Amino acid sequence: MSIGGFILRNAVRNKRRALLSILSVAVSLFLLVTLLVGLRELTQPPTDEASAARIVVRNKISLGNLLPRRQRATIEKIPGVAAVTPFTWFGGKFRDEEVMFGQFAIEPKLLLTIFGEAKMPPEQFEAFVNDPTACIIGIKTAEKYGLKLGEFMKLQGTFWPIDLNLKLVGIYADGIDDRNLFFHHRQLDEMPNNTGEVGTWWVKAASLEDVGPVVQTINAAFANTTAAVRAETERAFQLSFISMWGNIKMLVLSICSVVVFTLVLVSASTMSMAVRERFRELAILKAIGFRRRELFAFILAESFGLAAAGAVIGVGGAWGIFNHTDLVASASQNFMVLFEVTPRIMGQACFVATLLGIVASIAPSLSVARMSVVEGLKTLD
Amino acid sequence: MALPLRYNVRSVLIRWRSTLSTIFGIGLVVAVYIMMQSLAVGLEKSSANTGDPRNLLLVRKGSTAETSSQVTREQFKLLQYLPDIEKDEKGEPLISADTLILISLPRKGAAGEANILVRGVSKVGMQLRPQVRLTQGRMFEGGRREVVVSQKLAERFDNLGIGESFKTGGHQLQVVGWFDGNKSAFDSEIWMDSDDARSLFDRENYSSVLLRSDPTQWGALTNRVESDKRLSLSVIPETKYYSNQTATATPIRFLGNFLATAMSVGAIFAAMNTMYASVGARTREVGTLRVLGFRRRAILIGFLLEGAILAFLGGLIGCLLSLPINHYSTGTLNFQTFSEVVFEFNITPHLILKGLVFAVSVGLIGSLMPAIRASRLPVIASLKSL
Amino acid sequence: MQTNDLSVPLVAENSSEPSIVQIKELSKIYRQGEINVTALNRISLSIARREFLTLMGPSGSGKSTLLHIIAGIDRPTSGHCIVQGVEVTQLSESELADWRNQNVGFVFQTFNLLPVLTAFENVELPLLLTRLTSKQRKKQVLTALELVGLADRTSHLPRQLSGGQEQRVAIARALVTDPQLIVADEPTGNLDSTSAHEVLDILRSLCNDAGKTVIMVTHDPKAAAFGSRNVHLEKGELAP
Repeated sequence: MSIGGFILRNAVRNKRRALLSILSVAVSLFLLVTLLVGLRELTQPPTDEASAARIVVRNKISLGNLLPRRQRATIEKIPGVAAVTPFTWFGGKFRDEEVMFGQFAIEPKLLLTIFGEAKMPPEQFEAFVNDPTACIIGIKTAEKYGLKLGEFMKLQGTFWPIDLNLKLVGIYADGIDDRNLFFHHRQLDEMPNNTGEVGTWWVKAASLEDVGPVVQTINAAFANTTAAVRAETERAFQLSFISMWGNIKMLVLSICSVVVFTLVLVSASTMSMAVRERFRELAILKAIGFRRRELFAFILAESFGLAAAGAVIGVGGAWGIFNHTDLVASASQNFMVLFEVTPRIMGQACFVATLLGIVASIAPSLSVARMSVVEGLKTLD
Repeated sequence: MALPLRYNVRSVLIRWRSTLSTIFGIGLVVAVYIMMQSLAVGLEKSSANTGDPRNLLLVRKGSTAETSSQVTREQFKLLQYLPDIEKDEKGEPLISADTLILISLPRKGAAGEANILVRGVSKVGMQLRPQVRLTQGRMFEGGRREVVVSQKLAERFDNLGIGESFKTGGHQLQVVGWFDGNKSAFDSEIWMDSDDARSLFDRENYSSVLLRSDPTQWGALTNRVESDKRLSLSVIPETKYYSNQTATATPIRFLGNFLATAMSVGAIFAAMNTMYASVGARTREVGTLRVLGFRRRAILIGFLLEGAILAFLGGLIGCLLSLPINHYSTGTLNFQTFSEVVFEFNITPHLILKGLVFAVSVGLIGSLMPAIRASRLPVIASLKSL
Repeated sequence: MQTNDLSVPLVAENSSEPSIVQIKELSKIYRQGEINVTALNRISLSIARREFLTLMGPSGSGKSTLLHIIAGIDRPTSGHCIVQGVEVTQLSESELADWRNQNVGFVFQTFNLLPVLTAFENVELPLLLTRLTSKQRKKQVLTALELVGLADRTSHLPRQLSGGQEQRVAIARALVTDPQLIVADEPTGNLDSTSAHEVLDILRSLCNDAGKTVIMVTHDPKAAAFGSRNVHLEKGELAP
C-alpha cells in the first residue's frame, strides 16, 4: 500500500466524520463566498468600457435636489462634450407596489450614443424614438412582470406629481443593468405646473482624454449660480452612491471574519477529534519506526484533503448557483442582479481553505509530538 | 424514568476540551444572529419611536415621503383656517409647515459622503415635536443662517460641532446647538428656521404640514382636506407615517436570517460531530446504563439534553459576545427619504431569548442522530468495546 | 412502570421454590460472515436459590453468552430461560429493561462506573428508576456501600478509587435494588490478588448471609473455589 493510499484510507475511515467535516467546511466557504460576492455587488458598481467616458452632473447640495433645464445649452457648448441627456429618476409605483427597477426619463435619440451597450432590435428603438408616450425596459423586468410589446404600463408618481401611462415598444438585453425602464423626458417637461427641472445630466465625452477637462469646466461653469453642480465620472458617482450605504461594508467584512473564525474553530476541532480517535494507531506507527515528521505529514495531508474537498463543494457550489442560475436575482426580487463569483473571490476562498488545512493540523500535530509510544498504546478509547 | 440531569451536565463539561470549540462555534453563530437582528430592531425602533399620537402629517397626494412632497403657500394658508386644529394658550392654531432639503455632507474619517435631511421648521413645529430636546448650545435664530444638529449625527459627520460651520448650496451654515431626538428619526436630522431654509435653498414651496388635532376629529378633518380640490393633499397620522418607513430594515433582516440559517447548518454539523464522538467514546457507558435498566428512551433523551446543554452554553457565550454592541450607534441609507438614518443596535430581552432558543434548537437538531445511535447501541456493548 | 417495594432491604427471602433459574434446551447461534457459530448448544441447567454458581471454560466455550442470556442482555436462538418464574426470552426490549433493574445485579470485569458520577451517585443510579424518595434512596445506597465496606468513600469519583474499590462500588450498585440474582462476568479479571480476594469474599457473603443467588463467570480456578457449585462449559455444551 502506498503512503497516499494509506492517508486516503485513514481520512475516510470514519465516513460519517469525514463527511460532516467536509460539509461543515463546505457550508462555511459557501457562506464566505456569498458574502464576498454580495459585498462586491454592493460596493463595485457594474461598469463597462464606455462608462469611463461618461460624466454625471448632479446638484452640488445633494442628489436629492434638482437642476434647471437651462443648463443643458451651456454644457453642450463645452469643448470635448459629445452628447448630453437629461437623466431623471422617476421612482413610480407599478401595479401598486414599490418596485426595485429604476425608471428614468431621458432623451431617446441620445440613448444609444451615450449608453451604447444594450442590444435591441433597430425597429424597436425607432419606435421608441418616434413615440413620445413610449418606453423600453430591460429583459429582466419584462420577464418578471410578464410584459409584452404593445402593452401599456401605468406608473404612479411618488416623487413626481404625475402618473404616466407608457406604451412598451422595446425590450433590450445585455446592457449593464437589464432591469431599467426608460421613457421620454418630454413626459416630465410637459407636466402641468412644470418648473423645468431635471434630476441629473449625463454627458458623453468625445474621448477619454477629454473627461478630466470637461469635468472641470462643467463644475466651474455653474459654480456661482443658484444651482451649483458636481460633475464627476460615472464611476466616482456610483461610488459616492454606494458610500451612502454607510457601515454596510464594515458590517459585512466583520461578519466575514466571524465566519472564517468559526470555520477554523469547528474544522480544527473536528480534525483533532479524528486524530484523537486513532492515537493508538499513530503510536503503533511510531513504534514501527515512523518519525514525527512523517506523522505530521499524515495529519497535514489529511487535514488538507478535508479542507480541499470542502472547498470544492462549497466554492464550486456557489459558483454553480450564482453564475449559472438566476436564483439570487429572483430570491432578492432582482435587487441583486449580477451576483457573480469572480476568480478573485474564488482565490480568496481557496486561500482560506488552505489556511484552514494548516491551522486545523496544528493541535493534533502537537499532541502527537508529545505522545509517548507506551502511553499511546495504552489509550483505549 | 430519565437519567439524572447532573449526569448529562457533567458529561458535557468533562469533555470540555473537545466540546469547547463547538460551544464557541455555536456562540459565534448566535452572536452574529443577535447582532444582525438587533440592527434591524434598532432601525425599526428609530422609526417606531417617532411621532406624536395627536399629530397629523399632510403631504402631496401620491408622494410616499416628506422629501418628495410639496405643499404650496396658498395650500398652507387654506389649511390654517381649518376647524378641528387644536390651539395653543395664545389661541394660535398648532399647525406648522416644514421644508425638507437633502444635503450631501462628508462623513468623519474620509468615509465618503452621505445625504442628510435638513428640516426647516417653525416655532410651532418644534412645539409639535416634544421628543426633541436641546442638549447643548442654544436654539437657532431666524435670519442668521444658524442650525441645530442631532448630537448623534454630529458624532458621525465632519464640521457639526457647536461653533463649527459647513457649506452647502453656496451658503455657510453655523452650528449653534445640539439636540437629542430620543432615539427617533429626528436623530438623523439637522434643523433650521423654516423661512431661512426656503430662501437659502431657493424653495418656493413647503414640503409637508404637521398639525395637532383631537383623534376623534380626524375623520372629519381628513374628509375636508382630501375632498378639497385646491388642496390635493393626503392626511396620515404622524406615527403611521414613520412606522411605514421601516422598509429599510427588511434587507437587513433578510441578510440576518440568511446568515443565521447558513451558519446554523455549519453549527449543526459541528454539534453532530461532537455528539457522535461523545457517543462513540461512551459506548460502554451507555451499555452499562442499559444493563442497569435504563430504557432506550432515557438514553435518547439524555443525549438530546447533552446537545441542548452544550448549545445553551454556546448561546450564553453568544449573548455575552453580542452585548457590547448594544446601543452602539451606526447609520445607513433610508430608501424612502434617500437620506442617512442614524440608529442604535438594540438588544432586547426578547432577542436574547430568541438567540437562546435558536442555540438550543441547533443543539437538539445536531444531537438527534447521535442520540438515536446511542439509544440503539446493543446492551452487550457494555461488555465489549475495548 | 412497576413499583419496587424495597421496604425490607437486603434480607434473605424464604421461598418454597427450589430453583431460581431454569434453563431448558437453550441454544445460541451467531452468524459470523458466512459461517454459523454455535455458542450454546441445547443446554439445560437449573440453579437453586442461594447458590454461588461459577461458570468456567476456555475462551469461546459460551460461558459469557450463557451469563448474558440469564441476565437478560442477550437473546437465545431457541430454548427457554426462566428466571424467578419469568420467561425472560419472551420479554420486549423495555420490559427487559425494567426486569433487569428489579431482578438482576450485574458486575462487570471492567467495573463500568460512570466516570462523571461519584461513588454514591453511581450506586444510586438504578434507584432512580424506582419510585423511592430521595431519603429512602439515600438510606438504601448507604446500606449497600456499607455492605461492601466503602461507606467512607461516598463522594469520591471513580478515578479517585483503586481498582478493588471501584469493583466494590460496582457490586454495591448491583445490590442496591435488592435483586435476587447477582451475575458477575470475570469480576476479578482486572484486579490484583488481594483486591480479588476481597471482592470474592463479598460475593460469597452475599450468598451466605444475604440469601442472594450469585452466578460468576471466571477462568481463574482460585476464584472458582469460592463458589458452592462449579459448572464447566466446553464448545457450547456442559462438560461432565
